[in-house]
Formats: sequence, structure tokens, C-alpha cells
Amino acid sequence: MDQPRIGVYVCACGTNIAKVVDCDAVVRAAEGLPGVAVATTYKYMCSTPGQEMIVADIEEKKLDRVVVASCSPRMHELTFRKAVKKASMNQYYLQMANIREHCSWVHGDGVEATQKAIGLVRAAVKRVAFHEPLESRMVAMCPNTLVLGGGIAGLTAALELADAGYQVYLVEKADHLGGNLARVDLTAPHLDSARDLLRERIHRVMGHPHVEPFLGAEVQSLEGYVGNFTATVAVPGGNGAGPAAAEGDDGPTDGGGATRSPRTLEVGSVIVATGYREFDASRITHFGYGKLPNVITSFEFERMVREGRIETVEGRQPQYVAILHCVGSRSQEFHAYCSRVCCMTALKYAHELKSAVPGCYVSDVYIDMHAFGKGCEDFYRRSSEVKTLFLMYGKNDYPVIRKAEPGDDCGMLIEVSEQLSGELIEIPADLVILMVGMEAREDSAEVARLVGISQDKDGWFIESHPKLDPVATTTEGVFIAGTCAAPKDIPDSVAQARAAAARILGKIARGSIEVDAVFAEIDEEACSGCRICNELCPYSAIEYKADEKRSRVISALCKACGACVAACPSGAIRARHFTDEQIFAEIVGVLA
Amino acid sequence: MGGRKLQIALYWGAGCGGCDVAVLDTNEFILDVAALADIRLWPIAVDGKYRDVEEMADGELDLTLFNGAVRNSENEHIARLLRRKSRLLVAFGSCAHMGGIPGLANLATKEEIYDRAYLHNPSIEPGNTTVPLAQTSVNGYSLELPRFYQRVFKLDDVVDVDYYLPGCPPAADQVRAVLEVIVSGVLPPKGSVVGAGDRGLCDECTRTKAEKKIKEFRRPWQIMADPEACLLEQGILCAGPATRSGCGARCPTSSIPCRGCYGPMPGVVDQGAKLLSAVTSVIDSKDPDEIDAILAGLPDFTGYAYRFSLPASLLQRSVRS
Ligand SMILES: Cc1cc2nc3c(=O)[nH]c(=O)nc-3n(C[C@H](O)[C@H](O)[C@H](O)COP(=O)(O)OP(=O)(O)OC[C@H]3O[C@@H](n4cnc5c(N)ncnc54)[C@H](O)[C@@H]3O)c2cc1C
Ligand code: SF4
Ligand code: SF4
Ligand code: SF4
Ligand code: SF4
Repeated sequence: MDQPRIGVYVCACGTNIAKVVDCDAVVRAAEGLPGVAVATTYKYMCSTPGQEMIVADIEEKKLDRVVVASCSPRMHELTFRKAVKKASMNQYYLQMANIREHCSWVHGDGVEATQKAIGLVRAAVKRVAFHEPLESRMVAMCPNTLVLGGGIAGLTAALELADAGYQVYLVEKADHLGGNLARVDLTAPHLDSARDLLRERIHRVMGHPHVEPFLGAEVQSLEGYVGNFTATVAVPGGNGAGPAAAEGDDGPTDGGGATRSPRTLEVGSVIVATGYREFDASRITHFGYGKLPNVITSFEFERMVREGRIETVEGRQPQYVAILHCVGSRSQEFHAYCSRVCCMTALKYAHELKSAVPGCYVSDVYIDMHAFGKGCEDFYRRSSEVKTLFLMYGKNDYPVIRKAEPGDDCGMLIEVSEQLSGELIEIPADLVILMVGMEAREDSAEVARLVGISQDKDGWFIESHPKLDPVATTTEGVFIAGTCAAPKDIPDSVAQARAAAARILGKIARGSIEVDAVFAEIDEEACSGCRICNELCPYSAIEYKADEKRSRVISALCKACGACVAACPSGAIRARHFTDEQIFAEIVGVLA
Repeated sequence: MGGRKLQIALYWGAGCGGCDVAVLDTNEFILDVAALADIRLWPIAVDGKYRDVEEMADGELDLTLFNGAVRNSENEHIARLLRRKSRLLVAFGSCAHMGGIPGLANLATKEEIYDRAYLHNPSIEPGNTTVPLAQTSVNGYSLELPRFYQRVFKLDDVVDVDYYLPGCPPAADQVRAVLEVIVSGVLPPKGSVVGAGDRGLCDECTRTKAEKKIKEFRRPWQIMADPEACLLEQGILCAGPATRSGCGARCPTSSIPCRGCYGPMPGVVDQGAKLLSAVTSVIDSKDPDEIDAILAGLPDFTGYAYRFSLPASLLQRSVRS
């Protein structure tokens, strides 16, 4: 191989890098390395002038490799690849050295951080010489979409896509659409009827020429890759349209036991909108849920409101009602996170109680009042005016609910160690409403495995980037929307659903998708068909060809993680852009 | 190779003699060889002295089949001598190729080996203090023994090797095929592994392969292995995935797991490391304790994975201070 002409660009990142790493010293060190034709530093390499500098140097100084020493490649690799491409250089002739996250941000000692930065640049220079020109490929994009879950998020996403004229398959596990919202009466903070919000959508979905709903159905398998998935769906009796699909009252129930005959669907994208389940209140013994009959959950209260009968099991109107926040949420023992909707829902209950049961006393027992969101603070203020007694309890210092004595004028007594007054307060209650939090569904791990996405420690599906890419996942073509990703209210669920649909419409509009040129390949001449690699791939990118007795990587699915490369005992698998030569060159560079 | 008879030598270094028997195992073919060739040195079968070899002109021999590893100074001396005298030198069998079973001695130092072999061993007279020495004087005479090296070398660590014929021992039909090729004079590129396949043994093994998941390792005697299914999938540690084919998969066919004597696949540097990463990749557990328990079913994994290739591995030997 001829010695390539390498350009090295050291970014100061404003002061982010330069305040710790001596960028000039890095430039001087780079200048002395074999093959380096230009080395320079600039304030912001990612800025337009920074990028233009690279483009100009490639053209004028006849560079054929580029090293950018700056931030993490996760941040700007694509930026610099584009710049290099602009100068008609193959975009994979670029290598980045991360001297920000790996140096200036994590080290205090400037001398040592500079030494490390020089080592990383040396490694990148050594490595880039072995880079091979790679071409990314275009594959056709199937415009159909599979939506999992027919809650408010799934319905919204389905309509968004169908209204744009594209086919949607909506798979709902329960025998009706609407999800958890179908169990809610009025919605906070504007007190619109949940039924109204849903009815129109369900109606349109059921009659839409571009939506095929499957009720009581389940996705059994999903194979393929972005633009080209094949899903198998088990449907009851093989009939998608199902019975009258009005929203149910009893919440999600699993589809009936009718015989299921699978349907095969070709789709280009998948939206997971499988929602949440409520926390099981009986897990907190202090509250007596399941033992004290007038301790109920928020969902049970919603049902009372919908039926227009707010009463105790004895059939009496409650005189004292207590609403208890954060049940299962914000606790070390159960879920550390806040479920986000229950504070406002609790205030909504206070309103509903005051108007349905005039003269009843409502106490609201909370930890902190979380009233973020448009209109929520205002709603809180108005609720405080309707004569609700607010009591604050401490995290993990659970109030205790017990049965009252026969002489008391109430059914139960709640002992609260009140934080603001610092006193132990006992309040009466005939009805206690537990604001149960949201948690990941019991089958979420199964869904994650099925579509190839990950879950966080609480079981919520993980987005590609929590801030910048909240509805995409690490599996291209699979999106998440609504409460399956984390607790959220209706507006946020709807926004995510529309965002996911927009992402998909963008891909459909382009007609084809670019598949990264970095993937693993199996050398057929070297593969022994031992099948060691078959089960290893976290993205199910490896298939075994039984007739040829060889394994093969489906390149569009491969994320070049390298798991199979390391495992193959035949040395038959090679990851493009991560070849042994390149990695060894990098190691030699670091250690030199 | 013209009309003149081939001049050949066969030699054993640190080995067990099995390779020589493998040559004899070619049966009547060996007689054809004898008709075509003058066997100038073959300690196991033909009378001959080192001096005869020393007196040969350089390059006088057409071919030397050298089996056995290099353990001591005598092995090295003869290897160098035969290299000089021979136009082609073939590392014959696993020991010459990669160090072989004698190479496992590299897990111990010379001192530890002497201690176990001569000083502290139930079959040794208690109190023995005699160990082999390179130089001894007896009744005023100075006696010499080959020097025992600190470690075992493979043949190409000490001399340039033209071809490698793997196997412990090499399969008789492969020996025959290689000899035929050499007689024909149409030679493969120097440095080739000959008499073996280019893919892993699983390619040659007729057992049915499914997706591999291992929950428990078992020794071959612990179960009645299914006669059809891959042994590794049944928890029997088979080195087949990390081993070159060419032997005819004789071991797995007779329900014995492959032990790896044909060495690694082309391009693979370290056979044992490859077997390690392959086997541990298919352990079916994510729980650290359970994984430890499963791995406990692999006593002496190093000895197994590097049974024939320790001196050729990245590790080469253990060093104790
Ligand atoms: C008591 C209570 C009151 C609330 N009140 C309000 C309020 O006043 N205002 C507000 O903004 N928010 C409120 N919320 C929040 C609201 O319920 C959620 O924001 C909303 O329901 C989220 O919708 P979703 O589509 O993400 O999930 P879900 O409603 O949970 O829908 C998910 C759907 O997916 C289906 N599904 C699950 N798994 C699968 C699968 N594997 N295959 C196919 N289908 C599957 C389920 O059956 C379900 O139909 C309240 C929540 C609670 C607990
Ligand atoms: S929204 Fe309010 S009640 Fe719900 S978990 Fe958060 S703080 Fe607790
Ligand atoms: S691990 Fe390697 S040799 Fe085995 S099947 Fe996979 S690619 Fe082929
Ligand atoms: S490199 Fe990773 S993602 Fe690609 S095929 Fe191998 S295991 Fe799968
Ligand atoms: S028995 Fe051994 S050689 Fe045969 S397929 Fe299984 S692992 Fe490979």
C-alpha cells in the first residue's frame, strides 16, 4: 500500500477541548507522524468554515485520508463524512479521535490529557491508512406500516399514516380499541371526555380504507429490516374486522380463545404503541387495598364516575374521600420514577367529587404536587380553591389506612405524618382513592425481543436518543410512541404518535433507504457451517442456509457490533470498517 | 523429479512415535515409496547414523519428513542439520506443526518438570537427587546429554519449514496424497498446510447441527451421546468448530469429540483462543453465577483448548518467577 496523504484536524471545541488539551501540541505531534501531509487546529471543526477547510485541503493538498480529533463520533461522524464526501473522497476514508469526551471532559491534568489526545490521534492516523472505500446501498422502502397497540397513541399514528394514503395494519391485543384511556372518564386538565376523544378516532380507524385493524390479535414474529419487514400476526378466527369494536369499559382484556390463523404482512416500518399497565396497589400493604373494600384504585373510581354512582360498597354516598398520590411511584421500593399524570388526575377527581357529591370533604395526600404541562398549574390553583385539604407525606413514609372504630362517623382512618406541619395527623375517610402509577406491561420484554428494541431498568422501551431522537429506536425502522416508552399524558402520547408517523412518512417519501456500508460479512469459502454464530446476533442478522450448510449475514440488519466476528472459530466473519488490520493498527498507534 | 530416485529422510524429535507409525500405516504404499525413493535416515525403521547425514552434501536430500517438537538440543541440532541437507522440509504431524502434546509442557517450567519427573514422584525412590545434566563426569570421562530446554518449540521456531502436514497423527490417506504430490513435483506454495481442508471440521462432520446453546458441559463418559446430533450441542466439548478439517472427522464420527489436532483454520492465529470465544459465546445464560457453574464443567480448559497448539499460540508458555 502506498503511504496515503493524511490531513489531521484538531478541534478546540470553543474551549471545551482547548481548556484542558493543548491543541497546538497535538498538531505538532501529528505533523511528525508518517503520512501526515497537513495538521492544523481550529475553533470549531464542525462549523461551516471548519468543514470547508477540510474540503479545500482535500482538493488543494491532494489528501486521501482525513482524521478529525474532536468530539465523539456519535456526535459528528456523519457531519464529517458528509464534508469528506463533498470533496469527492470516499466517506469512509475518515477517522475520528475523540479528544473531548475521552480527554478534556474526563481529565483535569492538562499534560496527561494532551498526552492521551496525542495517543488517540496517533491511533487514528495509523488506522485510517488501512481504511477501505465502502459504498452504502439503497434498498426499496415498503410504504406499509405495522402499528402495535390501539390506545390513543396507536390510533393517532395509524390515522396519520392512513390519511396520507398509506396502508396501516393496526394490531391490538385486546378485543377492543382505546387502550387505557377507554377506562378514563374526563381528562385533566381541560375536563374533556375521554370517550369523545376516542370515539371519533376508533370510528375512523374501523372504516378507513387504508387501515386494517386486527383485534384480539398478536404479532408472532417480525423478520427483515427497515423498509422490508415481514410480520406474522395471529388473528382470532382469521378475521381482522372483529365484532363491534367500541371502546370497552373493563380495560384491556386479552382476545378470546377462538382459533388463530396467522396472517403474513409486508411492512416497511413498525410503530410500537403498546402502552402501560397500572401498578398493583395490593403490593403496598399499608394501604389495605384488597382487604379494606372502600380502598379503590383510580381506575375503579373512573368507572364509578362513568356509571354516575360514587358510593361505598355499602351503597352510601361518601362523606369523606381521601385521594392518595404516588401509589407505586416515586418510591425506592417500587418505582423510582414519577408517573406524571396522577397528580392532575387527582385534582380532576377533587373536582368531580365536589360536583357529584356536594358537601363531601376531600383530602388530597401527596408527596409533591407535580403540575408541569400546559394549563396544569392553573388547574392546580383552581382546584385549591374548591376546598380540598392538602396534606403532604414523605417519600417512603407511607400513610397507614385502617378501619375506624364503631363510634366514629367515618369508615376508615388514615394516619399521615404530615410534612409541612411536622405533625402526625389522622384524617377520616369513607372512600380512599389510590392514584396508581404506570408501569411497563408484563409482556414488554417479549415485545422488545420480538421487534428487536431494548428496555431500561424499569422496562420502558429505550429511544435512540432521549432528547434528539425520542421516537426512534436503535433498530432502524422500529419506532416507539406513547406510554410504552415512559409514563406520559395524552398530549405527549399523541405528539409522539404523530412524530413517529412523520418520521415514517419522510422515509416513504424518499422511496428508498440508505443502508450503512459498515456491516459484517461471512466468507462462504471459510465458513464451516458450525452454527456458533447463529444465535449470537442481537439483531437477528444471521441466517443459516441449511441447503448450503453455511451461515450468512443479512447486511441490512447488521449493526456491525462485532459479536459474531469475535466468536467465529473459523475466522470467517469480517466486519467492514472494523477489520483486524484496522484494529491492530489502532492499538499499535495507542501504544507507540 | 527426474529419473533418479528420491532421497528422503524421516526423523522424530520430541514426539511419541505415532507419526512414524502413521507412515507405516500407508501399508503397501510405503513399498511404492521405497521403490521410488532411497530412505537415507529413518531411526524407527532403518539403520543409519547421524554421521552419515553430516557427511551428505547440502541439499542432497530431496525431502525430510520431520515429526516431533523441539524439546532439547539434540532435536534442534538434527532439525538444523536436516534443514541444510534437504531441499524440502515438511513439519509432519501436530508436534512439528504446532508443538503438539509435548508442547503442553510449556504450562510448567523446566524446574517444575524435573521436580515432578525425577525428585518428587511416587514412582521414584525417596530421596533421589539425580536429575539429568548436560555434562557429567564419570570415572574421569566426561559424558554429555542433550540439553533440556526451558520450553518446547515447534519446528519452524528453529528452522525454515516448507510445508506443514497436520494431525496427531496425520491420516494415512492424507500422508499418501501428500507424498504423491511431492513425487509429482507439482508443489503447492511454500508455507502451505498440506493434507488438510481449508474449512473447519464441522464442515466435514456429518452430525446434524442446530443452533447452539449450552446449559451444561459433560464429559463423554457421562452421557450416552445421541449418535446423530452435534456433540457440542450435547454439552460435550468438541474442538471441531476451531479445527481444520481433513482428518475425515474420525473422532466425532466415533462419538469422540474432536481434540483439535489438525490445528486452526487458515488465517487464525490462536486456535485455543478461538475455541474459547466460540464455546463461551454459546453458553446459554446471562446470570454470572450460573455461567460460573456451567464453566466449572470444563476442568483444565487450557489443556483442552491448546492440547496441540500451546507453543504456537499467542501465550506460548507460562512463565513463573
Ligand atoms: C387513572 C388514570 C387517569 C388518567 N387520566 C388522564 C388525563 O386525565 N389526562 C391525560 O392526559 N392522561 C391521563 N392518563 C394517562 C393516559 O391514560 C395515557 O396517557 C394514555 O392512555 C396513553 O396511551 P397509549 O396509547 O400510550 O397506551 P395505552 O392506553 O396503554 O394503550 C396501549 C394499547 O396497546 C395494546 N397492547 C399492549 N400490548 C400489545 C401487544 N403486544 N400487541 C398489541 N396490542 C398491545 C393494549 O391492549 C392497549 O390497547 C390517565 C392515566 C391513568 C392511569
Ligand atoms: S404525577 Fe404526582 S402522583 Fe403521579 S407519581 Fe408523579 S408526583 Fe406522584
Ligand atoms: S461461526 Fe463462523 S464458521 Fe461457524 S457458522 Fe458462523 S460463520 Fe460459519
Ligand atoms: S456484527 Fe453483530 S450485528 Fe452484525 S451480524 Fe454479527 S452479531 Fe449481528
Ligand atoms: S460434533 Fe464437533 S465437529 Fe461435529 S459438528 Fe459438532 S462441533 Fe462440529
